[in-house]
Amino acid sequence: MSDSLLTLRGLSVWFPIGDRLFGRKPMLHAVEGVDLDLRAGEALGIVGESGCGKSTLARAVLQLVRPTHGQVVWMGRRIEELSLGELRPLRRDLQIVFQDPLASLNPRLTIGEIVAEPLRVHRPELDSAGRKREVADILGRVGLSADIINRYPHEFSGGQCQRIGIARAMVLRPKLLICDEPVSALDVSIQAQIVNLLKELKRDFGMTILFVSHNLAVVRRLCERVLVLYLGRTMELAPTDELYERPLHPYTRGLLAAVPIPDPDVQPARLGTSLGGELPSPLSPPSGCVFRTRCPDATAQCEREVPVFKAAEPDHHVACLRWHELRPQNRR
Amino acid sequence: MPSTPATADLPAAGHSPMTTTAAPVLEIEDLSVRFATPDGEIPAVNDFSLTIRAGECIGVVGESGAGKSQSFLAVMGLLASNARVAGRARFEGRELLGRPAEELNQVRGSRLSMIFQDPMTSLTPHMRVGEQISESLLRHTSTTPAQARARALALLNRVHVTDAERRLDQYPHELSGGMRQRVMIAVALACDPVMLIADEPTTALDVTIQAQILQLLAELKREQGMAMVLVTHDLGVVAGIADRVAVMYGGRLVELGTVRQVLKMPHHPYTQALLRSMPRVDEPADAPLVTIQGQPPNPRRLPPGCAFHPRCEQAQERCRSERPPLVERDGARFACHFPIEWGAPA
Repeated sequence: MSDSLLTLRGLSVWFPIGDRLFGRKPMLHAVEGVDLDLRAGEALGIVGESGCGKSTLARAVLQLVRPTHGQVVWMGRRIEELSLGELRPLRRDLQIVFQDPLASLNPRLTIGEIVAEPLRVHRPELDSAGRKREVADILGRVGLSADIINRYPHEFSGGQCQRIGIARAMVLRPKLLICDEPVSALDVSIQAQIVNLLKELKRDFGMTILFVSHNLAVVRRLCERVLVLYLGRTMELAPTDELYERPLHPYTRGLLAAVPIPDPDVQPARLGTSLGGELPSPLSPPSGCVFRTRCPDATAQCEREVPVFKAAEPDHHVACLRWHELRPQNRR
Repeated sequence: MPSTPATADLPAAGHSPMTTTAAPVLEIEDLSVRFATPDGEIPAVNDFSLTIRAGECIGVVGESGAGKSQSFLAVMGLLASNARVAGRARFEGRELLGRPAEELNQVRGSRLSMIFQDPMTSLTPHMRVGEQISESLLRHTSTTPAQARARALALLNRVHVTDAERRLDQYPHELSGGMRQRVMIAVALACDPVMLIADEPTTALDVTIQAQILQLLAELKREQGMAMVLVTHDLGVVAGIADRVAVMYGGRLVELGTVRQVLKMPHHPYTQALLRSMPRVDEPADAPLVTIQGQPPNPRRLPPGCAFHPRCEQAQERCRSERPPLVERDGARFACHFPIEWGAPA
């Protein structure tokens, strides 16, 4: 695709497990065969439960973990084979914000030093006054006052630390901002502030966002498309409102039904509709469709055949053998 | 909709029993919790009063530092040693506060149970699942080990643990997070408690597992008639199973009412702001997400007057100087000088 900023083709990340000296170590398939085109300027949400591979996928994009198989194509260039030295200049355009805001900031550095650090590495031409100007500018953009530059991370609340983390990532004006559960550690009232801030930054700077989260309600407010992962495999990919209103994969339906809604007229009835069972071990995933052990609609065919992730409709991809017969009849 | 006799009894707070069908199980009155630190005392809970009646589920919601967990840890006598507790907490008519541990242990884990957010740290790592469940039975009742094991098996089945027979001899680390939470609930249920305090029981769990555990709690409440306190930061969680909701802010109760009163027609601007700042999964992407400015107050430096006033859009001069008392209207309670007015209830 011509407008694709980032393309993943057959991306797999496996981790060896155990400390066996001889023979083959069992491999944990954290991410398995993911295809994705990330479009310039979009916010794409990656959702799923723990162990679904969403963080590993984000880290593989950054080459923080190296893919076992497949390609990562960044602006037309394969980057999965580049050395760390060759990757370094690319990092200017690829930045990340982490879940734990305090732990991701160096406690011994001042806020000014933390936010200026990427500038020292990637824009050595800037003198100290230039760096100071850039730091003050980005702090203002994330809703912080420039006079905090001489203070330390421990003096700030979780929400403020997350703003500092976002300022550090945005100071280089990256093309792609990867957010790995950026609001999960924050209080409810603070989550909304950060979501709105990311929306504003995206509007002002036009960067692309890869937003990894288990919080489906937050993802709906921020992202234009959403990718659903289960046991490292892609289950469904669709424009946001389409996915939330007309999910085609039984897992997406179960996941959405499990999210509590703060409305006593709606929520009690939803309680009885949750998915049963638990995530199977990723070391021995089920045959055929990996979701079949929890799927209310699984058949014998699902046990034998691996569903292909393909377009059910234009711009709506799903990996389910039965999506067509299972889709809701009352379609718009 | 879950509905129990207790829901008809709206003003069940403090000591104002009106016509009621269910007897009070736990009566908390003017509870205060302070922590002594080298930098002075930190007030964590102030003048907290709440009555929980037989068979009802009360959701206690609030953000970090609101005092919701500390209140119920105080009731259970489980606070850190630097805590100073004042007030009263009568459970089935017996005062719990200030009682020695041996006396509390006659009640804790038998008539009154508590479950926590992290089942891995609440379960004993070196004890088999069956032993952990039997432990309280052997301690609180005259049961033989064989009877206790049979009861443990029945309890595991009761909380829908699959393959229960085998689980009895497993250790907590061999179980998934959801399974551990079920085991912790089984431990809590062992002696048929009349009341269960659940402190963020699903916060550490994945959303589909959270739904399963909430479904289980709703089932236990319905079928065993157990009173339940559900402490959580998630308004969605209380919407599914609570009969009444208590909202805490800055160590105080700021609103109390039926789940419909609080979530559909809140009187306190904080409750309304919290609801509006929480994105709903059933609302479209372009719905506005209203934020609450600032952050929850640090208990060390509570603002004067109404603790919410620095973040409140309706705040006026009076809110900055005068702390609003908890007042009652239509059975609901709230602490605000300028409450949100709703017309006649639909």
